[in-house]
Amino acid sequence: MMQFFAANQALFDFFLLSLGFAYSQQIVLRAGVFSVATVGFVAIGAYFAGYLVTQSGLDGYSAIAAGTLVAGAVGFLLSVPLSRLRGVFQAIATLAFVEIVLNALYYLEPYTGGAMGMNRIPKLVHSWHLLIAVAAVIYVVWAIGRSGIGRAWDALRQDETVAACLGVSIRKYHTLAFVLSGAIGGMFGAMQGLYFYTITPEQFGFAMVVSVLTTIVLGGRSTLFGPIVGAVILAVLPEIARPLAENRLFLHGAILLAVIVFIPDGVGDVLVRKLRRRRAPEAVLTGEQNHGVS
Amino acid sequence: MIMQQILNGVASGAVYALFALGFSLIFGVQKILNLAHGGVFMAGAFVSFYAVAAGAPFVLAVALAMIVSGLVSVVIDLVAIRPLRKRSHDIEYAAIVSTLGIDMMLISLAQQVSNTQVLRFPFGTFPIQFYEILGLRISLLQLVIFALVIAIAGGLGWYLYRTSFGRQIRAVAERPSTASLLGVNPSAVYFQTFFIAGALAGLTGVLIGLSFNSIHFLMGEPYMLKAFVVVVIGGLGSLTGAVVASLMLGVLQALTVAYLPTGVSDILIYAILFLVLLVQPNGLFGAAGVAAGVGRK
Repeated sequence: MMQFFAANQALFDFFLLSLGFAYSQQIVLRAGVFSVATVGFVAIGAYFAGYLVTQSGLDGYSAIAAGTLVAGAVGFLLSVPLSRLRGVFQAIATLAFVEIVLNALYYLEPYTGGAMGMNRIPKLVHSWHLLIAVAAVIYVVWAIGRSGIGRAWDALRQDETVAACLGVSIRKYHTLAFVLSGAIGGMFGAMQGLYFYTITPEQFGFAMVVSVLTTIVLGGRSTLFGPIVGAVILAVLPEIARPLAENRLFLHGAILLAVIVFIPDGVGDVLVRKLRRRRAPEAVLTGEQNHGVS
Repeated sequence: MIMQQILNGVASGAVYALFALGFSLIFGVQKILNLAHGGVFMAGAFVSFYAVAAGAPFVLAVALAMIVSGLVSVVIDLVAIRPLRKRSHDIEYAAIVSTLGIDMMLISLAQQVSNTQVLRFPFGTFPIQFYEILGLRISLLQLVIFALVIAIAGGLGWYLYRTSFGRQIRAVAERPSTASLLGVNPSAVYFQTFFIAGALAGLTGVLIGLSFNSIHFLMGEPYMLKAFVVVVIGGLGSLTGAVVASLMLGVLQALTVAYLPTGVSDILIYAILFLVLLVQPNGLFGAAGVAAGVGRK
């Protein structure tokens, strides 16, 4: 067991990082916001923490906390224009946000290093840090999911008008989802920055937007297990077959297309639903299976 | 000097317009965001390059590029949109994901075909000539682009608003179920709109490949993002808006690139996109029907 673990440590850490990004993405999708801003939050967190550690000599924990706070605050600011929009307009606006962040990273060369990126960042984050962070995020997402907030998000996702009629404040819950998504994204971004020694703007481009989105589409948007299932499959698939690793982009594209056409709710969500149904055949289920994709 | 910049800006804006027209047409009819439009655009450029490289005359290469990219676009409709439509009416989210998937596949294929290299048209594919009009330098290519944009935008307007086919398209855009009660086949209309949009994207790909003399597998991405800006400012689904906003964007870009430090241009453009979304989410020419969700309390 330990041997297997040691041999695949890089893969495991990669899995943990992508799981963190996936939860940041899932939390907004769960609230019915079609945002792809996660990558922007991740970039902000990574650069902020990297700058604090290399230039201000801050310790790792404070840098990660700072990255989390800043990205959460950006999420709050972003939610102001976004809460006025819906559907495709949110998707466009958040893509533009990612693009603004990217261009700002290139432009602010004195602070970010421009296209060369930020180098010689000390490695302050190790596997166990990532493991604790993932566990904490899963706990938070689980606890929120069981509370009234989680139910409000589910209601908003399934039918916004009905939810609003029942007294669920759309703006409040969307803002909350954005702040949480920003904080989680920023935290794992900061950890990524302090893990890989170097960060460059091109890491946070369109390819990453796609890969984060693929994880959630594949795993599922509404359950706690969705991101785990998605991240496991995406981390393991390229290891099984070399050609898949060389064509990661094609693989992601094909998965996006095939899953949304054939398993629109995602593998993880479908599995969870099947298990629940087996355990409680007479129970009233979530009622989402008739909804398809909405 | 500033007039010359504005002229160049209008020229690049005209190319954006060709690209955005197809994108906006699909949104107007199907109410979906076709994220694979950038991939189709790139496919057009690739087809024309390989046709020219194989010795075909340039005009034939352009025609071939338009037909092939039109067909690619139709395949996107068949593979990525139609299965979703069968299942549910509200396919906004699903269509974004599935067309994004197709886009990734197209990009990956192009990367393998071109071995990640930048392709260039052989010298003399298109005559490089400059004319002086009122003290402004204008190239033959720019003149051709202006003529094409005027002809295509006019032709598309005529097709949509003056012919029976156009009436069918508008009926389906209004409400597919009612249109089919009246004997219009929505599938045929989708086929048409996707083909037209794809062919326009392919043509744009060739023109961009010529203007910058570089064709590569990632060329679609920046145009896709610019098309978002254009359709949001112009109003999603509005063809007039798409043309006007494209020209504005082209001029703005030319001026900011010329007079502001490098790198500011794109930040400014996307910031304007945010601003427009904030104050006028339906865009300057957006129909009230395409509600962006303003005033939600």
